[in-house]
Amino acid sequence: MTGAIKSEPFVINIGPQHPSTHGVFRIRATVDGEKVIDAEMVMGYLHRSMEKLAEERTYTQNIPFTDRTDYLSSMSNNLGYCLAVEKLAGIEVPARGNAIRVIMAELQRLASHCMAIGAFANDTGAWQTPVMWAFREREKILDIFEVTSGARLTCNYMRIGGVAFDLRTPFEPMVRQVLADLPPFIDEMENLLSGNEIFISRTRGIGVLSPEMATNASLSGPMLRGSGIAWDLRKADPYCGYEQYDFAIPIGYRGDSYDRFIVRLEEMRQSVKIVRQALDGLPTGPFRTEVPLALRPPSGEAYARIESPRGELGYYLVSDGGPSPFRFHIRPPSFINLSALKEMTVGGTVADAIVVLGSVDLVVGEIDR
Amino acid sequence: MEETRTGVAAVTRELSGPEAAAFAESAVPGSVARTTDTACYLKPGRLVAALDALKNSREADLVHLTNLCGVDFWDHFEVVYHVQSFDKNQIALFKVEVSDREKPSVPSVVPVFHGAWMQENETYDLFGIRFEGHPNLYRILLWEGYPGWPLRKDFLSMPGGLQPGLGDFAGTTPRSEPTVKVVK
Amino acid sequence: MMPFLASDKWYDLRDLSNISREILEGADRVLPFGIVYVLAALLGFVASFLIFVLPSQLFVGVYGERKLIGRIQSRYGPNRVGPFGLLQPIADAIKLIQKEALTPTRSDRVVMYIAPLFFVAPAVLLFAVIPFGPNMIFADVPVSLMYFLAISSLPVLANFMAGWSANNKYSLFGAIRIVAMTISYETPLVMSLLGAVVIAGTLNLQGMVLWADEYKIWLGFVTPLALVIYFICVSAELNRTPTDIAEAESEIVAGYLTEYSGMKWGLFYGMDIGYAIAASAFAVTVFLGGWTLFGLEQWVPPWLIFIGKTHLFYMLFIWTRGTLPRLRSDQLMAFAWKFLLPLALFNLFIVATERMIWAEEGYPDAYVYLFAMFNILVSILLLFFWADFNGYKPGDTPTRPRLVKEPRGYVPVEEQL
Repeated sequence: MTGAIKSEPFVINIGPQHPSTHGVFRIRATVDGEKVIDAEMVMGYLHRSMEKLAEERTYTQNIPFTDRTDYLSSMSNNLGYCLAVEKLAGIEVPARGNAIRVIMAELQRLASHCMAIGAFANDTGAWQTPVMWAFREREKILDIFEVTSGARLTCNYMRIGGVAFDLRTPFEPMVRQVLADLPPFIDEMENLLSGNEIFISRTRGIGVLSPEMATNASLSGPMLRGSGIAWDLRKADPYCGYEQYDFAIPIGYRGDSYDRFIVRLEEMRQSVKIVRQALDGLPTGPFRTEVPLALRPPSGEAYARIESPRGELGYYLVSDGGPSPFRFHIRPPSFINLSALKEMTVGGTVADAIVVLGSVDLVVGEIDR
Repeated sequence: MEETRTGVAAVTRELSGPEAAAFAESAVPGSVARTTDTACYLKPGRLVAALDALKNSREADLVHLTNLCGVDFWDHFEVVYHVQSFDKNQIALFKVEVSDREKPSVPSVVPVFHGAWMQENETYDLFGIRFEGHPNLYRILLWEGYPGWPLRKDFLSMPGGLQPGLGDFAGTTPRSEPTVKVVK
Repeated sequence: MMPFLASDKWYDLRDLSNISREILEGADRVLPFGIVYVLAALLGFVASFLIFVLPSQLFVGVYGERKLIGRIQSRYGPNRVGPFGLLQPIADAIKLIQKEALTPTRSDRVVMYIAPLFFVAPAVLLFAVIPFGPNMIFADVPVSLMYFLAISSLPVLANFMAGWSANNKYSLFGAIRIVAMTISYETPLVMSLLGAVVIAGTLNLQGMVLWADEYKIWLGFVTPLALVIYFICVSAELNRTPTDIAEAESEIVAGYLTEYSGMKWGLFYGMDIGYAIAASAFAVTVFLGGWTLFGLEQWVPPWLIFIGKTHLFYMLFIWTRGTLPRLRSDQLMAFAWKFLLPLALFNLFIVATERMIWAEEGYPDAYVYLFAMFNILVSILLLFFWADFNGYKPGDTPTRPRLVKEPRGYVPVEEQL
């Protein structure tokens, strides 16, 4: 028999029901053997038309909507939206409100990165052990959220002009406990995973993004920082008083999945530092400025953004002077971080595609809104 | 690029409309249609050239497309572009106005910014604005054959269009079956 | 070899072959000629498989594994069904039996039906040659090691049949991966076992245990490299993490088992554990002294010692499964061919040289201990040297990112911060 063996590529569906696609998200990968030659994303399984629904509700009624976009970091979402409305309406937030906002946002970042690290190590195959360990720490943070706002996941805690409730008495000892427990956990994760030969060989050189490609594809967050671009909105465009706190931005070397992983680990350490500073210097005073129930900001537009755990979360609001936003647009980091997915997955194997998805750290609620 | 490293501004400078317009005019003359306080409206025909020149210019250095979305004012559409620079730490707001409600069309900036392709797909999906030159324009969140463009103001058209506000919550006011206008 | 204290009486539990001998001799007087051989086979099956292996499988493989992995993951294992969750395997079995075994319409029904049977049969055959005690082997074949290796290659066929028949792309992925992987890992496995055979001088499993008894040292000390290579290869053959790409849950859902449900899946799952127990038993027999424990087997029943050692070896499988991430399939093949095979060849070379020296000197006893010490040292050095040669340089990978205080654009890697 002369000639090469005839083989043909076939299309395989990764998702939407899959233990590892972090939600209902589907990739139609054309594979030739084990190598992926084309990857097409299909999304929209979770589309709830939040942007349209928000046009019927007042500005305060839209805050629970923002909880449910990126359901793993709801405090950050609330914060971004309230910042946008405050920018539109010109409302000042008192110092205590800002400090509480910072503490909540950083605790949320810790919780979200716990999940990201656990799920990423799970994708490489470590069979649930990192997930369980990371969730043990996340539970402590979720308990703090429950004490403060009443809910663990969709907190709905930020209000326009400050926060919803003041801090309760059990808050500070619980946060101190978390600040004591988390650094050993991060070190343990680093010992177990960052130096693990199998983990390194699974993640190093996988999904490499050059800085030019990262900038051109509008990426943000740990994906951008993993490629070596030192861009963090908490430093570049400080909000809520971030300029008073002393922390550093971790950046990676080559832009592969391993770099993103260690960037996230280091961000957790920096978040612990910020929470400690904010808690030590918590000012007294009012925690919220009073705003009317049906706030009518002057007509205009505002774009406010925060550094959510996944990247730059932006809210673009257009107001026509009425009690509801005329246009409510969420700039979702997970959605835009997927712009470069094809470049990252094509050329690797199916297993690499899963690892790349894990390192993008997507939340489908944010992708589909 | 040594001189840009030190002395990066501590807060992102939001370029006002006239400043952004000045950058755009110096990059591609004749590209600015009009200017407001906050935004600079570009002519659709010069959009891609202007953004490309601004990306490569040294003063503006607007390399990162942060946000691309559409807004439906009742009589016209606007496509909004937020572009920012890392080294200069500034952000500019450009807009393009489209008056045609039946077949709105804007040139696609995907050749300039690769990150625009998903956001343009989303804008097409929700508003119906076609982007000329887009490599693969398809309905990314909804499905092909969905009747209508949901984020338009006259979607689920009731008499007078959809009226936002406190007066009309979904499920409280009994209303007749909304007619869905199928846009051919 | 010390004469055994276990007597010929049927009630002497230290040597269970007394019971089977009494039963068979009694049956021989009653039954017509020849039927007793069938009874012997049945008795062997019951004794070796049903009494020894199946409870091990259920107790250690299902319950012990889940409890231990739960503890590794800082959670309790099963603790609802029965006291301390001890009835969990029974509950699992009942659940699987009463489940509907769905067969997809367009799958190959015949192949899908017989694949589990092909998977279970070799497991039963394997335990025929494992020595549980000095007289307690069902079939003392002179080449039992070869027999074991040959039979343990059969389950791959069943796996491939399962993956192919399901008419599902994920299953096909799993099936092809497992075939490639098994072929790659057979070779270092056999090479490492050859090293042990060269020292012991016999292919008979009982002979190897007696050799260990005679020289009072385990083969695992004399050829430690062979034990390590055997462990890695056999955990790859068994599809256990870190090499379980055939059933990689986070990538291809369940690999070749995607379309199986009910007791068909239960057979695959149970026999997976059964093969792991067989591999542990084999490792214990060859490398870890079998049913001997430096003289303790005179008083403690040797089959208890053997079962204890098997379970302890199985714990190693559970341990690696709970802690290590998974390798990609091409990395796995590279690991087998580039790392393990040369290592096994080095081992064989060293061991064969030692045997030759030993033979020339006339087989003095002390030489074995000298060889053991030398081999342990050389194995450690060889592992490190070979790993380093193959490219594992820990200093190459920075485990902490760079820290920057001011925001800016791209920071090149070479720039000093």
